[in-house]
Amino acid sequence: MTGRLPLAGLALAAALLAAAAALAFAAISSSGNSGTLEQRAHAVAATLKCPVCHDLSAADSPAPVAQQMRAQITEELRAGRTPDQIRADFVGAYGEWILLSPPQQGLGLLPWLAPGLLGMAGLALVAVTLRRWSRPHEADPTDAAAPQLTAADRRLLDKALAAARGEVD
Amino acid sequence: MGWRRWTALAAVVVGVGLTALLLGSGLGHDPNRLPATLVGRQAPDFDLQAIDGGGQRAHLAALHGEVVILNFWASWCVACQTEEPALRDAFERYRDRGVTLIGVSFQDSATDARAYAASRRIPWMLLDDPGSRTGLAYGVSGLPETYFIARDGTVSYKAVGPVNQALVNQQLRRLQAEGAA
Repeated sequence: MTGRLPLAGLALAAALLAAAAALAFAAISSSGNSGTLEQRAHAVAATLKCPVCHDLSAADSPAPVAQQMRAQITEELRAGRTPDQIRADFVGAYGEWILLSPPQQGLGLLPWLAPGLLGMAGLALVAVTLRRWSRPHEADPTDAAAPQLTAADRRLLDKALAAARGEVD
Repeated sequence: MGWRRWTALAAVVVGVGLTALLLGSGLGHDPNRLPATLVGRQAPDFDLQAIDGGGQRAHLAALHGEVVILNFWASWCVACQTEEPALRDAFERYRDRGVTLIGVSFQDSATDARAYAASRRIPWMLLDDPGSRTGLAYGVSGLPETYFIARDGTVSYKAVGPVNQALVNQQLRRLQAEGAA
C-alpha cells in the first residue's frame, strides 16, 4: 500500500503537468503572428468560428461564408490592419461567440488560468511525493505498541517454534 | 491527518463551486439565442448595386432620416418565403411614410436571386452583396435576418428568422413614434 501511493501520486502529477503543458502550447501556437500573408490570414481565421457551421473555425470550414471571411481577413491584413482589429470587427458584428478562444475576462479567464493552476498543483504534488520518499522510514506504530517479551516468554516461544519446525520436518 | 482532511475538503468545495458556477452560467444561457450586438449602435454603412443589373444602387448613408428595414435573404431560403407576405404588406403600407425596405441577398448567386425576384415580382429593392461583406458586417449567421434601422442610422431591432406582420408593424410604429417625438 505504501509503495503504490507515491507511484499513483507521481502519475497524477505527470498527467497534470502534461495537461498544463498541452494547454499552454495550444495557447501559444494559436497566437502566432508571423509568416506569409496567407499564413497570417489562416491564423486569424483559425481563431474565429464559421458563423453558419457548428464548431468549425473559419479557417477549416468549406462553407462559402467561411471562404468569404478568409478572403476578407486577407484583404484587411494586406491593408495593414492588425489581427486584433480584424477580430474586434467580427466580435462587433457577431458578438464574442464568434471567437473560438474564450475572452480573457470573467468566466472566460478560467481556461486561461487553468494551465498555470494545474501546473502549480502538479508541482506541489511532486514536491509532497518526493518529500515523503526522501523521509526516513518511521518505526511501525504496531511494533511500538507490541508488548516486549520477557526472557521466559522468549524461551517458551523458541521452544514452541522448534517443536513446530520438528513437526514440519 | 488533519491537514489532509482539510485539503481534501477544500478541494471538494472548490471543485463543486467551480462546477456549479460553470453549469449555472452554461445552463442559464440559451445556445440558440444569438446576441444582437449591433442593436443600439450605428448600422454598418453599405453601398450596393441592385441585383437586377440596371445599375441602380442603394447607399445606407443616403437614407439618413428614413426608417430602413434591411432584410437578408436568399432564393434557396424556404423560411424567407414564409415572411414575404409580411414584408410585402409593410412595403405597401409604409412606402410613402418614410420607410424604405431593402433586401440584401446573402450566400446566393446573382443569377438565382434575380430569377427568384422576377418570378415572385418582389417590388422592393434587392441588392447584391459580393463577398458577403455587408452580411458579415451585420453579423448574419442564418437566414432570414431583418434589421430595423432608425432615422438616426442606429440599429433598433434585429429579427432572427422569418418576421410576421405583427412584429413588423410593431417595430415600424415604434420607430415612427420615436421619429415624431
